[in-house]
Amino acid sequence: MIEVTSDWYLTLAALLFSIGFIGMMVRKNALIMFMCIELMLNAVNLTFITASRHFGTIDAQVAVFFVLVVAAAEVVVGLAIIVSIFKKQETASVDILRSSKG
Amino acid sequence: MLDLILFAIPALFVLAGALIVIFAKNPVHNSMGLVLTLASLAVVYITLNATFVAMVQMLVYAGAVMTLFLFVIMMIGVDKAEQTREEIKGQTFLVLGTLILLGSLLAYVFINSGFKWDLWFPAVDYSIEGTPDLIASTLFTGWVFPFEVISILLIVAATAAIALAYDTKSRKDDD
Amino acid sequence: MEYILLAVVFIPLMVSIFLNSISSLLNERLTTFITINAALLSFSVSLLMFGALLLEKFKPISIEMYTWFPDPEIKFEFLLDGLSGTMMLLVTGLGLVIQIFSTSYMSGDPRYVKYFVYFNFFVFSMLLLVMSANFLVMFFGWELVGLSSYLLISFWSEKKKAAKAGSKAFVLNRIGDFGFLIALMMILNTFDTFSFKKIFETTLLNQPENLDLIVIFLMIGAFGKSAQFPLFSWLPDAMEGPTPASALIHAATMVTAGVFMLVRISPLLQFSEISSILIISFGLLTALISAFAAINQDDIKKVLAYSTISQLGFMFIAIGAGAYVAAIFHLVTHAFFKALLFLGAGAVIHEMHHEQNIHKMGGLKKKMPMTAAMMGIGTLAISGIPPLAGFWSKDEILASIFAKGGIYYGFWALSLLAAFMTAFYMGRHWLLIFHKEPTNNIEEVHEAPKMMTRPLLLLGIFSIFIGFINTPFFHGLEKVLHYTLSDVEITHLPEGIVLVILALISIGAGFTGLGMAYLIYIVDIFSYFKFEIPFLKEVRSLSSEVLYLNKVGHYLFVAIPKSLTRKVAVVVDGLVIDGFVNGVSSLFYKSSKTISVTQSGLVRNYVVYFGLFLLLLVSLFVATPLIVL
Repeated sequence: MIEVTSDWYLTLAALLFSIGFIGMMVRKNALIMFMCIELMLNAVNLTFITASRHFGTIDAQVAVFFVLVVAAAEVVVGLAIIVSIFKKQETASVDILRSSKG
Repeated sequence: MLDLILFAIPALFVLAGALIVIFAKNPVHNSMGLVLTLASLAVVYITLNATFVAMVQMLVYAGAVMTLFLFVIMMIGVDKAEQTREEIKGQTFLVLGTLILLGSLLAYVFINSGFKWDLWFPAVDYSIEGTPDLIASTLFTGWVFPFEVISILLIVAATAAIALAYDTKSRKDDD
Repeated sequence: MEYILLAVVFIPLMVSIFLNSISSLLNERLTTFITINAALLSFSVSLLMFGALLLEKFKPISIEMYTWFPDPEIKFEFLLDGLSGTMMLLVTGLGLVIQIFSTSYMSGDPRYVKYFVYFNFFVFSMLLLVMSANFLVMFFGWELVGLSSYLLISFWSEKKKAAKAGSKAFVLNRIGDFGFLIALMMILNTFDTFSFKKIFETTLLNQPENLDLIVIFLMIGAFGKSAQFPLFSWLPDAMEGPTPASALIHAATMVTAGVFMLVRISPLLQFSEISSILIISFGLLTALISAFAAINQDDIKKVLAYSTISQLGFMFIAIGAGAYVAAIFHLVTHAFFKALLFLGAGAVIHEMHHEQNIHKMGGLKKKMPMTAAMMGIGTLAISGIPPLAGFWSKDEILASIFAKGGIYYGFWALSLLAAFMTAFYMGRHWLLIFHKEPTNNIEEVHEAPKMMTRPLLLLGIFSIFIGFINTPFFHGLEKVLHYTLSDVEITHLPEGIVLVILALISIGAGFTGLGMAYLIYIVDIFSYFKFEIPFLKEVRSLSSEVLYLNKVGHYLFVAIPKSLTRKVAVVVDGLVIDGFVNGVSSLFYKSSKTISVTQSGLVRNYVVYFGLFLLLLVSLFVATPLIVL
């Protein structure tokens, strides 16, 4: 009987994180990059919950709470920034932002 | 057996959703993929006995955050297709290199220990329920300080968002 | 009695300091008064001391002034014996005569007082040198004499040539002094004292192993001071100084210090075969080279300068052959007639308004009869014509060389050649100045003032009679030096008929030289017989350029170091060091420029870097998990 141990969940979290990371490297649209960030954050949340079950502590789930709240706040502010930059542009590509070069 | 199926199906959906996010061309498709991922993740949380967190995830993430995303996509991103050709010099090589590194790392880990990883700390044999009262009792006693801080953070974020997106020029004088 | 010795040495010093300190208050007459009287006093006291020495049958009188260091023994002490007594008389006597001449020659010069300050300082240094009783005091005198020479050569420092000549003299002297200094160190190390008496006594019993080296280094010092090959090129250049100074320093006293020193260390020298050979070889080489160079010189003083070098070579030959008495004898006679010749040249220069080229003179014997006569006496003396002084001393040297036999027969023949050349060029010198038909207008030229001609007269008389102090019939000088050279093996003259024949040969050489000079330069015999000498022009320039030795020396020691240092300054300093310093800064600049390529301002680049580094950390963790724990 194959038992579903914490390893499996951690593997899933790792895969989810990697996919999110690859997406960040490859995609040019600012919004899609943001969604990839969300993916990564969710992978972290999954790790926390796994740890909560593994160690039998509730503090990990409280931590998930905090991550959730911060992610939400971050989305709000990030989207506001993206809106203000890309309102007038042709594309939403981040490659046109080169002012911090050098 | 049941455990396995209960784990495998949501896991597959999670991965599928993630892949849709990074491969789709239309931004709306991307957000749909993200919603799929988030929902499947909530199911996974439930199987891990974190029921309250799963509900909150559904509410906040899949409800509020994704709505925000869709709003912004409608505003600026919908009909603009993205170029698939890479413009930045050397980016392709760097990405390929990272991928190879990542792949080899994962392969190394799997070959060495398969699914039987040496987690240094053994699992506990009792299981806890992620019930609201349990979470509340820890949140408002031990973790009250971070709790207050993130409420301030939320206020700051909201204010920042308004300040950033506020367009004073197009606002007419009548309030 | 001994304290009067100190008076002899220190009177000139006090006069020099005195004149220097109140120089602003003095005018010409007052300076003349002070210095001439001081010189008279000096000379009288030295006569007195010499007389005392004579009464003691030349047993040395010594006085110790001050003990500086007890062990090893370093003292300030003075010694008066036959050798130093002779030199003392020579220095003070000639100093007096030449000072009288200088009062007339230098009159009108704006730095009149300074001249006598330097002059008296020189006399003091020379006396310090000759009256010393140990090597250290001698070295003090040695160095101070070099200094005074420099001061007097570059007296007219407005002339760039004079300043350069002074520096050259000092530098070449210094090279010799370096040898002397090394010898001093070796002496202190070997003998543990500087005192002559103790060293000579020790060496007589057993000679130390490094005696050869010590003597060779002292010999190098003598070469520098007495202008032997290869350290001789400073002496002709030193003619830039005032003529009376040249007369005293570069004819009679300073350049003879080397000879004096070598005779002083004769107890050491007699045990060192190799140094004797070296001394005689270098002396011979010097005598021949400078005699050859003197044949075609144009400057009135340069002929005399090369002549001095040549005669010093003769003295060195004598020392090398072991004839120490002959060397000192020639030193004394040479001092008189060379001083005479120089002062005469000074008178001529003064009257010709500082024209020094002998080809522009001629027929001066009608206008300056006294000078002409005196210089004629000097010329005859130096050519070795009896019964003048030069004959006796030169002949004694030649005979002593002959007496040694073997290879010394060859040396004798070469020395005879040098003597012949001496007569030739000195004859040319006198004839071209005084006898030849004048080429220039010499109407305004008249005889030199009395203060100049009287010293000339005095020196002329001495040149005639001084030779009689040491003839084969009356060994006066030998008796004087007897006590000094008591433990030294001296080469003696051959006896009887051999001596007479040798004398006749050298007289013949002298007359031949003078005669040939007359024939060539006055009668112009070669064009008479339509006789073409091959390579005449090359031989002439070879002579006037001193066999191009000066050019070689200049190239080796001035031109090459100059270009080398310039290369070092440009390459090492400019390229290497500046390059290094600039390179460090440009290294930083370039490297930061290269690294700033990674700061592209693109988000996606940064993401990739972030991920790469994270992966690296994870890999590290996976590979060695124990680190984190």
